[in-house]
Amino acid sequence: MDMMISNLQQQRQVTEQLRREAAIKRISVSQAVADIMKFISDHEQEDCLVVGFSSEKANPFREKSSCILL
Amino acid sequence: MAGEVTRTPDENLESLIKEADTLKARLEDERLKLNDVTLSHVAERLDMISLLNVKPRRVLRGHQAKVLCSDWCADKRHIVSSSQDGKMIIWDAFTTNKEHAVTMPTTWVMACAYAPSGNLVACGGLDNKVTVYSLTSGENVSSQNVSSQKKTVGTHTSYMSCCTFPNSDQQILTGSGDSTCALWDVESGQMLQNFHGHTGDVMALDLAPSEIGNTFVSGSCDKMVLIWDMRTGHCVQSFEGHQSDINSVKFHPSGDAVATGSDDSTCRLFDLRADKEVAVYTKESIIFGVNSVDFSVSGRLLFAGYNDYTVNVWDTLKCTRVSLLIGHENRVSCLQVSPDGTALSTGSWDCTLRIWA
Repeated sequence: MDMMISNLQQQRQVTEQLRREAAIKRISVSQAVADIMKFISDHEQEDCLVVGFSSEKANPFREKSSCILL
Repeated sequence: MAGEVTRTPDENLESLIKEADTLKARLEDERLKLNDVTLSHVAERLDMISLLNVKPRRVLRGHQAKVLCSDWCADKRHIVSSSQDGKMIIWDAFTTNKEHAVTMPTTWVMACAYAPSGNLVACGGLDNKVTVYSLTSGENVSSQNVSSQKKTVGTHTSYMSCCTFPNSDQQILTGSGDSTCALWDVESGQMLQNFHGHTGDVMALDLAPSEIGNTFVSGSCDKMVLIWDMRTGHCVQSFEGHQSDINSVKFHPSGDAVATGSDDSTCRLFDLRADKEVAVYTKESIIFGVNSVDFSVSGRLLFAGYNDYTVNVWDTLKCTRVSLLIGHENRVSCLQVSPDGTALSTGSWDCTLRIWA
């Protein structure tokens, strides 16, 4: 009996989770992808790891020429 | 107990299973219907990323054993790292100096995190606990002092694998080998919310970028990615696709997608609004597991640390590898882009951390 009730409760949780997920509003992949691409193109100029630094001096981790790193 | 069952007379096991099957089919159907293009196809017209000029800039030496986790301070200069030998070290990444070293009463300190203020760090691991250390008392705090200003905030029933401060110093979010996540109040040590849903060890979590606020993502050895509402404790979305343990999850800076890294040697991108996987980052020659992933600030690049000692850099849109960072002499266990996006830190089982910029 306990087993049955715990099975039922478990299944109820699974079904409730699926109900929640089924209720999500979805958009098409083309729309989602277009939005991601727009975000990236809007922010790409600030992305030093993509576009680099305006000058080497702007890089906080540049090697300083006057000192030797050991 | 009988009352519990009869209260909803038409909700028996069979009807629930039947409904679940119907819902599953409907979900599948709807996701398929909206799957009108592929990301790499749409990105074909974009320019290739020219050869990356990212170089090794610093090596942080001091850990005596495997580096397991690291986190940048909001000041873009300091890093906290934790290691298998039980040590937590605070580094000045500019000078490579160690500012504090704390010995934990445990080995395998699997997780560490900087608080937003930079005044606290949290860490834990095989001790099942998340412990907060204060770094505030002036310029030259001795390690002794740091150790004495510690406080255990929360305890799981298995190891703590990941932790982060959600937007303030007052709360900590943790993930654990007990397959749950939990939100803790730092001051009182009270558990504010717990998150049940995974059926395997939780290995990683990440907060949605701040505008979205109360959402986080978790990845687990049950191969699932779950999206959670921090206020209700409910799982709001789930993604499957990985063939093995998920070791790392990270929100895209737009907040609309999450990237994952897995023992199945792939990284993937799941879009929250399309409610499905939209990209797989993989190559035939890559056969080792992924331990850690992070995006560049625009989200164009995905850095991934692998068991074959390398960091692969993926173009998230074209789904191609643009670069390979070689230097570590053992597994790359953790990596993170600095808060302003100017540098990448990596930690490894070779006992070092490295800064690339």
